[in-house]
Amino acid sequence: MWPFIVRCLEVSTIFLLAGIGELLDQRSGILNVGIEGLMLLGAASGFITALHTGSLLIGFIVGAVVGGIFGFLHGLFSITLKVNQIVSAMGIWIFAMGFTTFWADRYSGPLKISSPRIGGLSPMFFLAVALVFIVWFVLYKSHIGLKIRSVGEDPLVAEATGINVVRIRYQCVVLGGLLGGLAGAFLSLTYLGLWAHLETGGMGWIALALVLFSMWRPWILLAGALIFGTIWQFAIAPEVVIPGFGLPLGIVRMFPFIATIIVLIAISTPRFRRKWGLAKPAALGLPYIKE
Amino acid sequence: MRLPGLKLERVLVLTGREAVKISVISIIVAFIIFSIFLFLEGANPIDAYKHIFSYAFDPKLGLQTTIHRSILLLFATLAFILPLKAGFWNVGMEGQLYLGTVGAFTVAYAYGDLPSGILIPLMLIAAGLFGAIYGAFAGFLRGKLGVNEIVITLMLNLIGYWLLYTLVVGGPWMGIAESQSKPLPVSAWAPMIWKMPFTVFFAPAISVILYFLFRRSNIGFQIRTLGSSQPAAEHAGINPLKISVFVMAVGGAIAGLSAYHMWAGDPSFHVIPRPEAYKAIGDFTYWGIMVGLICILNPLAAIPASIFVGSLKEGGTVLVRRLGLTYGLDYVFLGILFLTFVALQFFYRYRIMRVKKKG
Repeated sequence: MWPFIVRCLEVSTIFLLAGIGELLDQRSGILNVGIEGLMLLGAASGFITALHTGSLLIGFIVGAVVGGIFGFLHGLFSITLKVNQIVSAMGIWIFAMGFTTFWADRYSGPLKISSPRIGGLSPMFFLAVALVFIVWFVLYKSHIGLKIRSVGEDPLVAEATGINVVRIRYQCVVLGGLLGGLAGAFLSLTYLGLWAHLETGGMGWIALALVLFSMWRPWILLAGALIFGTIWQFAIAPEVVIPGFGLPLGIVRMFPFIATIIVLIAISTPRFRRKWGLAKPAALGLPYIKE
Repeated sequence: MRLPGLKLERVLVLTGREAVKISVISIIVAFIIFSIFLFLEGANPIDAYKHIFSYAFDPKLGLQTTIHRSILLLFATLAFILPLKAGFWNVGMEGQLYLGTVGAFTVAYAYGDLPSGILIPLMLIAAGLFGAIYGAFAGFLRGKLGVNEIVITLMLNLIGYWLLYTLVVGGPWMGIAESQSKPLPVSAWAPMIWKMPFTVFFAPAISVILYFLFRRSNIGFQIRTLGSSQPAAEHAGINPLKISVFVMAVGGAIAGLSAYHMWAGDPSFHVIPRPEAYKAIGDFTYWGIMVGLICILNPLAAIPASIFVGSLKEGGTVLVRRLGLTYGLDYVFLGILFLTFVALQFFYRYRIMRVKKKG
């Protein structure tokens, strides 16, 4: 049972890393629906780097940096060039699908480097949980967090009080990209330990849904990531939990996606909606245009 | 951003001509960037382009497949355009294609002994209906509860993938080879006109219908109003729920129809292939997002745009076979094209003016 729990926590780590980055993005008012793309690019570059250098650490760093670069690109498009944020993120996602197909599919196969573990768990899990605490602390208890939140609520007012809106948004979007890339690298280097065609398989989109579900609160995001990590891992290996589990593989694999739809519907019911509407960063998805 | 001698000016009204210019320039820039890419890969870019397009449009080589895949892409593009006109992002073409497949094949396996004249229309109706239901589900959630339709349609894609997997791989539709479905009955095959399946004419016809729907009809006006401003639309008495269900359902139906075109219209299929192969077709529909955006949601412009992308995709296969390059370079080109297009969208809002020196 313990190995199964470890796997669950590893999937949760992926959701958590990607989700906490996206949460930071959205808190500053930037919607990045292309996390799936950031994860793919991070996974591919991390994997190929580790394959060539034989070092996981360098793989993680490169994966994160590549994610950060594409986070920056999203910032360049949506902050400086003021392109529609959904169009920009879609562009990065579709580019990532095309580019990783070309670039990484030739390396398809296992990595053969085992990850260091603490009690069976990857250190990355502890890092992710620590990040939740750090992001929570920064957002709610620090001066810079106040700035981030005010930029996400009303950039015009924030600017008037002397906050550099553009800089804050760039910082958040690059950091979000870094974490998205890191989540991808963790997927290809530790959780799967291999590269396969479009291996993220919808994880980035679930992370996005989790951020919406969390009402932009880090601790709720942690809970959501743990729940969905468990559902995901159960869908991969149901017979570990329930021996002789009868449903066909294809049906079980649908569970995380069905669960995501159910959760999204649940948080959109009128009762939740009011709370949700209040929590939502008011300037989310809107380009900031100075007149 | 300050540049000497230049200043930025807000574009208040973007004319159609300006928008076309931006799209064309983004294609040119993408070609330039991709040429550098090809050069680094060790190929002569001009040579490569010649190979790509001569193969794609050669009647003896690629033309048939080029047209077939371009039309598939056109279906996907139209399924994307219609909802986005009303402001809804349908990225669920993949799932709707899979559901259309389920619909068409259910009918074909159940009534395989019917004559073609009855069976094929039934299959088309089933494919459209299944796709429509899938789309309408997301449209209803969006209109009724405001659920993010991008995430929902994407989740539906993945569910559709596994649904088809369950049916085909070791499931009730399993054929002789374990990972493929049973073949379609002969009466379900698409009749060919000039070596092309008759469904090739469907998608352009839908383009024309959509064009007039947007321009001339009452519902088209409602769709465009809702797309430009939801408060204005509600003020004008337009029911957003009705419109969102309508556009997503019709979009889903269009994508669903493409399933019949795909599997019954290409003589090399007539089955549901192994998961990797049908997934590759599913991935292909995502390029409809790009085609739709690049042709500025104009259903008529979508026809040449899909043929362009379809020919690139089909012609791109020669890069591997004739020039010995790595598989997937065509995807890279399309990715670069999308990014240049996104970057140039800046000019949807601004234009750069030269500042005249005083005195």
